[in-house]
Amino acid sequence: MNLHFAKIALYAGILLLGIILPIIFPAYMGQMTLLWLMVIFALTWDILGGQMGYNSLGNIFFFGAGMYVTAMVQIGMYYDLAEYTSPAGGGIYEFTFTQYFTGMGVGFLAAAIISVLFAIVLGRLVFGLRGPYFAIGTLAIATVVGELVSTWELVGGGGGISLPNYPGEPAGSRALFYSMMFILAIVTFLFLKWLYSSRFGLAINAIRDDEEKAEGMGIHTLRYKTVAWSVSAFFLGIAGAIFGNYNNFIEPLEVAFPTTTFGIFMVLMVLLGGKGTLWGPVIGAVLFHIIKEITWTYLLGWQWIALGVLIVITVVYFQQGIMGWLMDKKPHWFGIRVEGDKQRLSDMVAGEAK
Amino acid sequence: MFHYRKVIAAATLTTALVATPFTAYAADAGTILLGSAISLTGKYATAGHHAKTGYDFAIAKINAAGGVKIGDKSYKFEVKYYDDESTPARGGQLAERLINQDGVQYMLGPYSSGLTKAIAPVTEKYQIPMVEAEGASRSLFNKGYKYLFAVLSTSEQYLASAVALAARVAKENGKAPGDVKVALAFENDPFSLDVRAGVMDDIKKHGLTVVIDDKLPRNLTDMTPTMTKIKAKKPDLLVVSGHSKGAGTATRQIAEMKLSIPMVAMTHCESADLVGKYGATADGYLCATQWAETLTYKDPMFGTAAEFNAEIKKTVPAYATKSVPYQLAQASAAVYVFKDAFERAGSLDKEKLRDALAATDLATFYGQVKFSEAGNNIAKPMVLRQIQDGKYNVVAPVDYASHELQWPRK
Repeated sequence: MNLHFAKIALYAGILLLGIILPIIFPAYMGQMTLLWLMVIFALTWDILGGQMGYNSLGNIFFFGAGMYVTAMVQIGMYYDLAEYTSPAGGGIYEFTFTQYFTGMGVGFLAAAIISVLFAIVLGRLVFGLRGPYFAIGTLAIATVVGELVSTWELVGGGGGISLPNYPGEPAGSRALFYSMMFILAIVTFLFLKWLYSSRFGLAINAIRDDEEKAEGMGIHTLRYKTVAWSVSAFFLGIAGAIFGNYNNFIEPLEVAFPTTTFGIFMVLMVLLGGKGTLWGPVIGAVLFHIIKEITWTYLLGWQWIALGVLIVITVVYFQQGIMGWLMDKKPHWFGIRVEGDKQRLSDMVAGEAK
Repeated sequence: MFHYRKVIAAATLTTALVATPFTAYAADAGTILLGSAISLTGKYATAGHHAKTGYDFAIAKINAAGGVKIGDKSYKFEVKYYDDESTPARGGQLAERLINQDGVQYMLGPYSSGLTKAIAPVTEKYQIPMVEAEGASRSLFNKGYKYLFAVLSTSEQYLASAVALAARVAKENGKAPGDVKVALAFENDPFSLDVRAGVMDDIKKHGLTVVIDDKLPRNLTDMTPTMTKIKAKKPDLLVVSGHSKGAGTATRQIAEMKLSIPMVAMTHCESADLVGKYGATADGYLCATQWAETLTYKDPMFGTAAEFNAEIKKTVPAYATKSVPYQLAQASAAVYVFKDAFERAGSLDKEKLRDALAATDLATFYGQVKFSEAGNNIAKPMVLRQIQDGKYNVVAPVDYASHELQWPRK
């Protein structure tokens, strides 16, 4: 009862904070938009990395794919894309209110669908790989696609694309992208909470624990793996579409497919928070983002070193993450009854001894 | 009860922690706060430092001369910098931060077209006038931005005259332009791609033949594949554009692989300090430049181009023995354009300032500054210099040339 009440209070508190904080501190709305993006990154990475035991280093691919798909749709619906992105410039391109929002709506939808399609197709290629091979294989996808896009002239290559300007007051655009990212983060969380509580959650956990055995038990592992990656791709694709518009300028290597920044951050955040848990990625993302913003502001010049130290400490000394550590120390907070388990354990030991 | 105390303590602590960074910047009466996200680390760090030096020098100079006079009050310039790490993802966020958290109302540009492309949408959104000095790609000036002003010439003009020069030399030597083989090596970024677009137009115009057309990765530290092709195809003209790193890497590897190319044209020679670092191996290179200290431009604040050059060498020890790059000069010019616009606007109002900027027609030590509707400077030509015995001498266009072209390079 008490636990139940605490949970409701927690959810309500987070929702309230998410709404009230940007109103009290509007100047920090940009950082908070990124905070929710980090939460989405961590949550979607944990589907495979934590729950299913497949450490993907290429999830950032879906983020970039969503970004580029929506940009192409938004611009292509009203102008000649090749002319718009040409390094030599050309005419002046402006978007009306209706054009802007219609383009964005269609673009987001396309971004989500195409990201999922990519996940299904690529899943066939990489899910034959296990362990480190899977990590390297997925990393290769993200890196290669980034390089390919940067030679693709239709989308401006390495010159990138400037997205349409928001056709209203700046405060409106900030609130819009903040709300979008906030809602997407909440929806992602609730969807995953439901997903992990279903048979699907058990199945992907089984794949993590022993894939051969899971297959032996009749679980169609490839299908589950593909669906899990598609879920990741769906949310990342939309997140990329929002971020592209929020950032207003996209280019392949540092904004859309940044394997060495966002691509690594998502792994690190999950490790920091505790992989394979629902709340771990959220806590990891929030903590990481705060640490990052502080070091980037006050330790300028040393920020990457601070980040490196954080990675080393997390990986070497703190592998189970914050949630894992808490579960270890305060199991009753999570409704884990240690006493019962101990009893059962001793019963088992006693049984075996007989 | 005990728990409550703990909760209150925690809450107070959290509030205190959260509130600390929120101390807003209060503009002193009498200062004008400019903001800039500039590349102090990462692949554009070299040129980023040149630009920052240019900003700082001009600000110190203007402040020492009494600052900006608006009405009967006089204001001092001040700048808030952030390091954008040479990545556009960071640049946009920092621009937001400068505007929302530091209360910056007027922006100085970042370094490179890519970063400017990331920051311009933000300044546009908040209607913050930005005078930029380091983003030259034409793709910046077709988005309908109304608050973006660039003091420099656009990038397609950088090396186009080198192509014309190659065609002329060919004719003088009894060769058809079609026999002139050109090798192109361009970094894959907004600036270099636009330089390439300009070069391609001129290659078509003069009918030269392209034998190598390489696009190179960012953070150029190796160009061996291109150099190997050059060894095989023996082009008559090599055109390189890859910011300071590209210029340095190309020069080093041309020497290492002992390639003899009769004509080499590139951007960022001065910024990469080719003469200082590579000495005679860079002799004969053609270098695109926005500004040269030998040109006859002048203004009442900085004096002539030559005086500006001499003063930088005197006050900034880092440039005492090397050529002052145009990236530095144009950054100073951007600050000067701001001063002029503030004084003509007679107000700190952003809109009045924007209109004053749009109406700028200013003679500076860096050249004439007059903006088109789109915000790029249309009053100043690019010049081409050749490194001759360790000196940069203007060889094109004809109106500005002080020396004859040396061809073929030794």
